[in-house]
Amino acid sequence: MRGFLRLLLLLGIAAGGNVGVGAAEPKPDGSTVENPFRGVMQDRSFRSSDEAQFVEKCGMCHRQMGMGTVLLARRMDRKLAMLEARGDLTADFIAVAVRRGIGNMPRIGRGELSDGQLAVISSYLVKGPAR
Amino acid sequence: MTGLSASAVRDFASIIGAEWVMTREDDRIAYSDHFAGNEERHRPSGALAPAGAEEVRELVRAANRHRVALWPVSRGKNFGYGGPAPVLKGAVVLDLSRMKRIEVDAANGTVLLEPGVGFFDLYDHLQANRIPLWLSVPGNSWGSVAGNALDRGVGYTSYGDHAARICGLEVVLPDGDLIRTGMGAMAGSPNWQLYRHGFGPGWDTLFCQSNFGIVTKLGLWLMPEPEAVMGYDYEFDQPDDLGWAIDTLMPLRREGLIQQSPSIGNWLRSAAVMTTRDQWTKDKGPLDEQVINAIRRQFHIGWWSVQIRFYGHLEVVEASMRVLDRAFGNKPILSKKPARWVTGDPPEGSPVTGVPVTFPLANANWHGGRGGHIGYSPVLPPRGDLAMDQFKRTYALYQKFGMDYHASFAMSERSLVNVNQLLYNKDDAAMMGRVDAMFRALVADAAAQRYGEYRTHIDYMDLVAASYDFNHHALRRLNERIKDALDPNGIIAPGKSGIWPKGRRI
Repeated sequence: MRGFLRLLLLLGIAAGGNVGVGAAEPKPDGSTVENPFRGVMQDRSFRSSDEAQFVEKCGMCHRQMGMGTVLLARRMDRKLAMLEARGDLTADFIAVAVRRGIGNMPRIGRGELSDGQLAVISSYLVKGPAR
Repeated sequence: MTGLSASAVRDFASIIGAEWVMTREDDRIAYSDHFAGNEERHRPSGALAPAGAEEVRELVRAANRHRVALWPVSRGKNFGYGGPAPVLKGAVVLDLSRMKRIEVDAANGTVLLEPGVGFFDLYDHLQANRIPLWLSVPGNSWGSVAGNALDRGVGYTSYGDHAARICGLEVVLPDGDLIRTGMGAMAGSPNWQLYRHGFGPGWDTLFCQSNFGIVTKLGLWLMPEPEAVMGYDYEFDQPDDLGWAIDTLMPLRREGLIQQSPSIGNWLRSAAVMTTRDQWTKDKGPLDEQVINAIRRQFHIGWWSVQIRFYGHLEVVEASMRVLDRAFGNKPILSKKPARWVTGDPPEGSPVTGVPVTFPLANANWHGGRGGHIGYSPVLPPRGDLAMDQFKRTYALYQKFGMDYHASFAMSERSLVNVNQLLYNKDDAAMMGRVDAMFRALVADAAAQRYGEYRTHIDYMDLVAASYDFNHHALRRLNERIKDALDPNGIIAPGKSGIWPKGRRI
């Protein structure tokens, strides 16, 4: 996770339709790092249909480089910034966060994520990292 | 007209099933604008989620019968512009996010999409099927590919003007009729996604940022994976460097050597995503030079930064780099860092090569608390001196209203789009009051220069539409005549882009 956060710091980011690479640090020999983004794209893989559902509906924010991961890393143990690493999530908490939003997380309506799909994802997360 | 009667609910449920007629309190909240200071102003009555174009047609016919206003959204992730929320309080959100069909023509580099397809969905589809086509993604790629193009969103590659890459639409009209534009007007045409114009008048742009119909399929051109991507990240030390930097790059952009739209932006772009404000200062006022310098030191950036990228065959890209070097010559840049990716390298892995991301949305947390932002994006001529004037006037307004300057200038072939973010904490009532006053001052400032916004938040659609005032608002009159002809009951997205149906005009 530390490497990941360091990579985040290497990124110069803009919102509103702009992402800029702003901060490739010079190496001690004076040369520069090329492509600081390289290799930090999100892992979109899955090993079960429940995990596939999580990746499709939540992964963009809650896996590597996601908005949720970046913000949770500020608020808690960084090792637990990704939801799939946590063992303390409950179905009720997940449902409230999804439907009401939490902090900077916008709400997700039932059109995009049905109650049935939410239940599948919820049971996947509640099992914790030992799943 | 804006509420939902029991008979309308029954009618809608008979078409799409009761599960997809969503009128609970948490549904109304879920389909509101999460970033709004006052969500009530745009609270919907509920939402409907059809599975396909035939259901959309039936819902539209039912909405006409019951006089229910619909607010179509593709996926509802238009954050900073209202999210899924309607302009008109009480309208019913028509959520198309269940419509997720993807048809890729790999040989020709096109895709035909339904509105529910997000950038991550399309990315996953291309990866899973090993199709060598690249996306152009916006800074928040959670949203809909079709919806973003229809709202004239932008990305980073040479396909970054998304609306310009639209080729053929399928649209449900306000009376429930179904049309296909361009070559799609000929049933079974193999050219629908290949040739834009069709025969006679072209209608694709009629459905961009409009309320004249509901797009149920959108054709889009995708970039064939290039052999190489190369470029530089330039840093500039002084605020005044903006002018000559733009004047150096614009000739290359105009003549087509640079095919993406370089976006030159200030130091807050990095800081607002990577950090929170209280890490830098406890002072509530505008950020002073000491803080700006600290931010620049931490991120190793200039006052302004810009990223240039070339896409294509390696020989051509390398030659383009030489021309770019020559253009900058001995000009006083702070630094330049090379970037290089060639086929066979590990994935470059960023929006530069079409990889979708969501982390730029973390800037909503800049002030801590429940944050948000709105965008102010006037268009101006591509001249360094005008950009400097625009920067100085806008910076002064940020100072006057005590907000943190967050801006960029995106270089199109013949224009600059000056994208400014107003980052705020929605729980800070005093700040929210300043945001509204400041936004109005910014629009007035641009209009005084005869510059207009390219896109705006649902709160300000009337304000921005009013600035398009040639011949006593002739464009508004035309839009209203079209609206009345196509949508006499005024059921599709009343107020979108300042276009109101008869009976609701001020």
